[in-house]
Amino acid sequence: MTRDLWKHLILILGALVVIAPFYMMVSYSFKSPGEIDRGEGGFFGRQEMMVDERCVKLRDPDREDVAAAAPRFPTQTDSQIRDALVAEAVADCQMRPIVFNYSKAFTEAPLLRYLLNGVIVTASIFLIQIVVALPAAYALAKLRFLGREAVFSLVLFCLLIPVHAIALPLYIMLAKVGLTNTYAALVVPWTISVFGIFLMRQFFMTVPDDLIDAARMDGMGEFAIVWRVMLPTAIPALLAFAIFSVVAHWNDYFWPRIVVTGNRDLFTPPLGLRAFKGDGDGSFFGPMMATATVIVTPLIVAFLVAQRRFIEGITLSGMK
Amino acid sequence: MAIAEPHTPVIVSAETAQRRTAWWLTAPALGLMVLILLVPVVIAGLLSFTDYSLGNDTFNWVGAKNYDRLFSRSTYEKMFVATFIYVVTVVPVSVGLGLGAALLINSMGRIGDIYKTIYFLPVMATLLAMAIAWEFMLHPSIGMVNRTLEMSCGTILEIIPFLKNGCADRFPLWLGDKDYAIWVICFIGVWQGFGFNMVLYLAGLTGVHRELYHAAEMDGAKSGWERFRLVTWPALGPTTVFVVTISCIRAFQVFDTIEAFWPQGGGPNKSTYVMMFAIFEKGVQQNLIGIGSAITVLFLIFVMFLTLIQRWLVERKVHY
Repeated sequence: MTRDLWKHLILILGALVVIAPFYMMVSYSFKSPGEIDRGEGGFFGRQEMMVDERCVKLRDPDREDVAAAAPRFPTQTDSQIRDALVAEAVADCQMRPIVFNYSKAFTEAPLLRYLLNGVIVTASIFLIQIVVALPAAYALAKLRFLGREAVFSLVLFCLLIPVHAIALPLYIMLAKVGLTNTYAALVVPWTISVFGIFLMRQFFMTVPDDLIDAARMDGMGEFAIVWRVMLPTAIPALLAFAIFSVVAHWNDYFWPRIVVTGNRDLFTPPLGLRAFKGDGDGSFFGPMMATATVIVTPLIVAFLVAQRRFIEGITLSGMK
Repeated sequence: MAIAEPHTPVIVSAETAQRRTAWWLTAPALGLMVLILLVPVVIAGLLSFTDYSLGNDTFNWVGAKNYDRLFSRSTYEKMFVATFIYVVTVVPVSVGLGLGAALLINSMGRIGDIYKTIYFLPVMATLLAMAIAWEFMLHPSIGMVNRTLEMSCGTILEIIPFLKNGCADRFPLWLGDKDYAIWVICFIGVWQGFGFNMVLYLAGLTGVHRELYHAAEMDGAKSGWERFRLVTWPALGPTTVFVVTISCIRAFQVFDTIEAFWPQGGGPNKSTYVMMFAIFEKGVQQNLIGIGSAITVLFLIFVMFLTLIQRWLVERKVHY
């Protein structure tokens, strides 16, 4: 029992270090700038009403506003009216820090657009990867043709090349055909997943030939067999591969950073967060951490819900 | 196929048809493999001998000048040193911690799953977002790390020289200090990656047969260490080969944290100027394609060399 105790002690210590930045990220996304600066307020902060200075500044009354408001304050001088208007603005611009941080995250930058881009890019990458890899994997596993060994050796060779490593020549090629700063640039280099082909081929090798022969007897063509017979049998493997692919590309920063410059409409979530950080003036820690939380949350939640599947998917590359 | 007689003409044409379909099924994958993976490698190889830059119509062959530069300028020496320190630190530490965590968790039954979940969180999280969270944690004045260290001031812990100096003067600037920057990057690399290794080791441990432990015990291996040395470690041989290789390849590709902390220049005194960042800075930002390609080529050689070693070890079925 005492031995188990020190085991727990070590593991808990590790867990604290692992969780610390997550804790801080979420905690800062709740707190007011003052609380962040002074390091108070525990995890949730005190959630006292705070005034959004920018909002007040935007509503700073000019001469016309004062004139327009004059009927509402009949007996007062202009400067009194002005003060009253400022007080109204301050009252209207009050909000809880948590509301402030998260509303700023979505309004200061088009965060929704970034998230949508992330979904579009990851989904297209995965779908194209499957459309390209599945038929090839089927042919390599189940069809006999001259050159099959050569093609498979090529697959094995290409497994050696990490796409990030050849980013520069890929970038030059895309620039030459004028595709930088497009969705295509974000997707194209990932359309071929050699690893996907390899994985699916290994999986298809285990599918009995009888199943395919039966389908042929029924008069199915090879294309139909790929999509109507092989695809359904491969669902578990595909799911694992989907998790592998989506996690990798939702989180990818290097490639988007290279091919998307300036055009914010194409920013993926990590690029958006990076731009937010670049724009920030230091007092924007809360909203920035809110943005980070929003970007990290979908995958973390999905992971917590379907842990076993996620671990299976992410460690896919470790299976032989 | 199996049911058909091999010599009738009908079958021959069916086989031709199958061959043709097979090529149709593999053609998209084959084409993309060549275009997206092989052609860029060749392009990088060729461009590394030129002074090409995007926007120029012509270029000159400059021989091995780019490579000469890589091996003579101090900037690139710093690049090799930073990459080397990172890989040589992160790989053993993250593999060691992964193995340690896996062994502890494996020995404690269901309750260990909690730790597994926690340790895997950084693998799922967007590294760029977490890098920004770490940047706040490491903020010299309001960061959680230095605040926690300050709490030790005035306590018994002050006998540790590091804390003593920190309390007397100030605690490190971490990211702003050239002596600490690379180690902080290494630490975040370990923080992010060891959970992945842990999960692979946990999978490896399920494959170690119970009987082996009994056998070892009968042979006189009484202590836990003896059992580990004689049974667990050899049985985990294949897992270790894989874990080390994939950790190396990932470590070579470190980029997100460095770009997030120091968008320009690769850290204080270029102490964190790793290869991926150099490719990005030289090739993409400064449009010095020749030198960027030369770094790409070296990078590919390193990574391919590592993977080939791994495959060679796996084929020899190493069991240490």
